[in-house]
Amino acid sequence: MQFFMFHLMPYPYLPDDFDERESAWVTLSNSNYDPTIGTGLYNRYLDELEYAEQLGFDGICVNEHHQNAYGTMPSPNLMAATLVRRTEKLQIAIVGNGLPLRDHPLRVAEEVAMLDVISGGRIISGFVRGIGDEYFSMSIDPSTSRERFSEAHDLIIKAWTTEGPFRWIGKHYRLNYVNVWPRPLQQPHPPIWIPAFGSTETMSWAAENHYTYLSVFAPSKLLKRWFDGYRAGANAAGYEAPRDKIGILLPIYVAETDRQAHAEGRQYVTWLYHKGLKHKFEHLFPPGYMTDHSWGRFLQSGLGAYSDVSYEDLVAQGYAVVGSPATVRERLAELAEELGFGLVNALLHIGDMPHDHTIRNMELFAREVMPHFRAQSAAA
Amino acid sequence: MSGQNGQHVVQHVDLGGGRIHLMRAGAGEALLFLHPAAGAGFWLPFHDLLAERFDVISPDHPGFGESDRLDWIDGMEDLVYFYLDLLDALDLEAVHVVGASLGGWLAAELAVHQPSKVRSLVMVDPIGLDLPEHPVEDMFAMNPDELRAALFVDQELALQFISPEPTLDMLMRAFKEKTSFARLAWNPFCCNPKLHLRLHRVTAPTLILWGSDDRLVPLAHGERYRELIADARLEIVDDCGHAPLLEQPERTVEVIGRFHAELAGKGGC
Repeated sequence: MQFFMFHLMPYPYLPDDFDERESAWVTLSNSNYDPTIGTGLYNRYLDELEYAEQLGFDGICVNEHHQNAYGTMPSPNLMAATLVRRTEKLQIAIVGNGLPLRDHPLRVAEEVAMLDVISGGRIISGFVRGIGDEYFSMSIDPSTSRERFSEAHDLIIKAWTTEGPFRWIGKHYRLNYVNVWPRPLQQPHPPIWIPAFGSTETMSWAAENHYTYLSVFAPSKLLKRWFDGYRAGANAAGYEAPRDKIGILLPIYVAETDRQAHAEGRQYVTWLYHKGLKHKFEHLFPPGYMTDHSWGRFLQSGLGAYSDVSYEDLVAQGYAVVGSPATVRERLAELAEELGFGLVNALLHIGDMPHDHTIRNMELFAREVMPHFRAQSAAA
Repeated sequence: MSGQNGQHVVQHVDLGGGRIHLMRAGAGEALLFLHPAAGAGFWLPFHDLLAERFDVISPDHPGFGESDRLDWIDGMEDLVYFYLDLLDALDLEAVHVVGASLGGWLAAELAVHQPSKVRSLVMVDPIGLDLPEHPVEDMFAMNPDELRAALFVDQELALQFISPEPTLDMLMRAFKEKTSFARLAWNPFCCNPKLHLRLHRVTAPTLILWGSDDRLVPLAHGERYRELIADARLEIVDDCGHAPLLEQPERTVEVIGRFHAELAGKGGC
């Protein structure tokens, strides 16, 4: 089992009347963001990620979100750049660059290649479409999201793997000279991770390309369907999906006892799902972001908003794992058995968790939980 | 849906790589009705009123109502060329055009691209102009309650057009139509930033109608269209939101009728 520490870098200081606001995204005014507080937060969050190296994690994850309080990393490559120079062994997973949200895919190809070269080959390159809200925040036509993603991906991979200069004539990008300097250090290119929200098109595509498939926040019974879909895609492509190419994103909070973990963790998990992930429905599902087919399946699934799921149900349904080291070990083993993942992206800072609890959470997880699974892998 | 007096026929035209659904009724000179972003596929009382004087042709735009989506249409210019082809396919030399909201913008673009095809131009609360000082509200971000409030003065009537309990079919259709609309209007948002430079090309007699309480598209857009199109007239429909043809159909068609009658009097109709 591989363990990565995920951080969202939320801005937890929401206005007092937040519950009356429609969303933590798009329309929540940035007048609520205090840059003085931000200086402290960014540096504290980066310290937490860097500390993962001392604790023996395999890697750390940063990601991209725009104009919201949930996650304040509009440029994940900038965050990776600071982390590359402050770590030596950790893999740094950018999960990922929001390809359709960028006007120029070669900026992504160049920046990720720079990071890969500077880090001596420690970069993992995730690609995402960005969430619906971001098509409002960046004024990108959501009905072009899939085709922009697909074309930008093909262009970036070709730019990393083909000697330049070459010409690219696509629908969205037309370039006479593609000749990316530097080339990436890892060959043929950094590993690709694809975080996804259960679209069947994406599962098959990730499997066909042998890319690592990552889940995002959802109940475990849904994750089972997604991972099964990825495994079926691999079978259809003529191979068996290895466990380490299947990753789960999971908020985890460990404290000395179950009682203490829930007493403290309830607030953090609730902040994440009920505040940070509070969306206006129309923002989250803009027209054309999904195919007509996927939209129909979504409507029929009856999946509600995160904010409708109580803390107890969030824990019971596998949206989060909270408890003593023994409880977390058991629950994680149970989920791994049920879902068949071999990669854990552990969100160990959750919502409005303070620094001391984050550090204790990371230490307990690294010392009391991770070794159990490492020994198991070694034995296997 | 059919109007009380209405006997419209449904026709299908294979064009541009897909099948287009259109409704047609009445006799006389041809009048092309161009529907707004929501409202394809319905034959409503105002269609019948127009059909008392004209051969009314009301297509569903590609990707709306029962017409296929055509992948090559991803901007207003594509839609304009599609409609020029459709007029040819229907063997129509020149038509009177009535367009509402998105359809009003399309009507203006047709009259810019091919002035000789447009005998007269009626635009009802059209989008299309780039007026940063008077922004169009973002209907893509609105929930059903907000949409009703933005589109209609009469909120009871609004419930007839925007259901509080939509069926799965209605939600599927709305998603399809909003997706097609996004391809035309997401960015630049609801406008062609060059349109104001081109409206001088319009030669058709032009009437612009505006709901007195349009909370989606400010009246300033109507005033700007009037300034930019030679001899255009702007009339306000009282007690009415963004959709005069739905909220005040009799009065709206009456104003349109007077406009057409005047043209006929001048030998233009």
